[in-house]
Amino acid sequence: MFLIRDLITLLLANLVFSQALGTSTLFVAASGRKNLIRTACVITLFTTIASAFTYFVDTLMPPFAREYATLICYTIIIGILYALFLLALSTFGKAKFQAYKKYIHLSAFNCAVMGTLFTISEKTADNISLRDTIHYFLKGLEAGVGFVVAAVFLAMAYKKLNSEKVPASFRGFPAMLIYLGIISMAVYALK
Amino acid sequence: MNERKNSVFDGILGDNLVLASLMVISPVIICGDTIKNALSLIYAFNSITFISLLIGSFVPKKLPYTVKIIIYAVISSLIFIPVRWFAVEFYPDSIERIGIYYPLLAVNSLIVLQSEAKFFRMPRGRMIVSLVFYIIGFDAVMLFTGIVREFFAYGTVFSKVADINTTVSGLGKPFGGFIFLGLMCGVYRKIRSAIAERKNEAKESH
Repeated sequence: MFLIRDLITLLLANLVFSQALGTSTLFVAASGRKNLIRTACVITLFTTIASAFTYFVDTLMPPFAREYATLICYTIIIGILYALFLLALSTFGKAKFQAYKKYIHLSAFNCAVMGTLFTISEKTADNISLRDTIHYFLKGLEAGVGFVVAAVFLAMAYKKLNSEKVPASFRGFPAMLIYLGIISMAVYALK
Repeated sequence: MNERKNSVFDGILGDNLVLASLMVISPVIICGDTIKNALSLIYAFNSITFISLLIGSFVPKKLPYTVKIIIYAVISSLIFIPVRWFAVEFYPDSIERIGIYYPLLAVNSLIVLQSEAKFFRMPRGRMIVSLVFYIIGFDAVMLFTGIVREFFAYGTVFSKVADINTTVSGLGKPFGGFIFLGLMCGVYRKIRSAIAERKNEAKESH
């Protein structure tokens, strides 16, 4: 029962189904098992670690500057993480660096990552008691897991949506968007 | 000359930012449900993208790829500050409704990724012309989505009640946005392939 409740909560807060964030990256992730695992890992890593750091921005930022200066602060945080992740990856050898670097490039300034940071910030602004690093970290992790759930949903139907049975004009992206729309509708009905 | 003509029209039909490349689709899906929101997003997207890419084109090409991407993102985040300030003056209602999608426009994939892969490989003059048409392509999709969704979801046109008996309220919701964009992508592809077929037929008959 708890698991079902947790799953419903995860779906309701899903950044793809309820906010359409990171949809185009989702299409890349769903295209194969390898892509799914790698993209999901990198996105989760970015959302989790960046969220923990944005706590400091949200706490230290004066209220009058919040609307204007938050973006530049978040951009700097993601920029630093982007460079650090690439540096860390380069220590694992050239082959691993070549295989994984595209996922870091794809995920760094992604809507899913930046959108997660802003969503967490917006929600904690409404309830100051939630403002602590652990909460930010967990919410970032939850967003990453939400992305994985959405990618798994899409990966299950990926082959069928790209098959020749689908009319040529709707094959691929258009069919995937409609499919996501139907899942999003089901999630909306859970509210 | 022919090459220039192709690149100019690419952004509107051949390689539309939203319908062909599926870039910047989150604001279209979530916030493109009224004309007012659409206009506000168009204003923000146009100003941030155009100015950021123009300034970004002066970043030295010799810098490492990652450094350049970070610099482009920082430039667009700085451009966002005055753009938002003006938006508060001109579109005060829409700003609230658009929420987090406003700053997200500043780090859109056209600025962060496509700039390096596409625009900065062109001579500056041609880049500007091409960019303008890519922006017009986005504007057209955004505006069309705003008009259709507002009319059918809320039965209004620019917040004025229109003469419509049945509304489909779901069209104003995120799932309505997904489905509408999916249908639009399909129709767009159909039109594009019909044009390509006609061109081929004309070539063969010559």
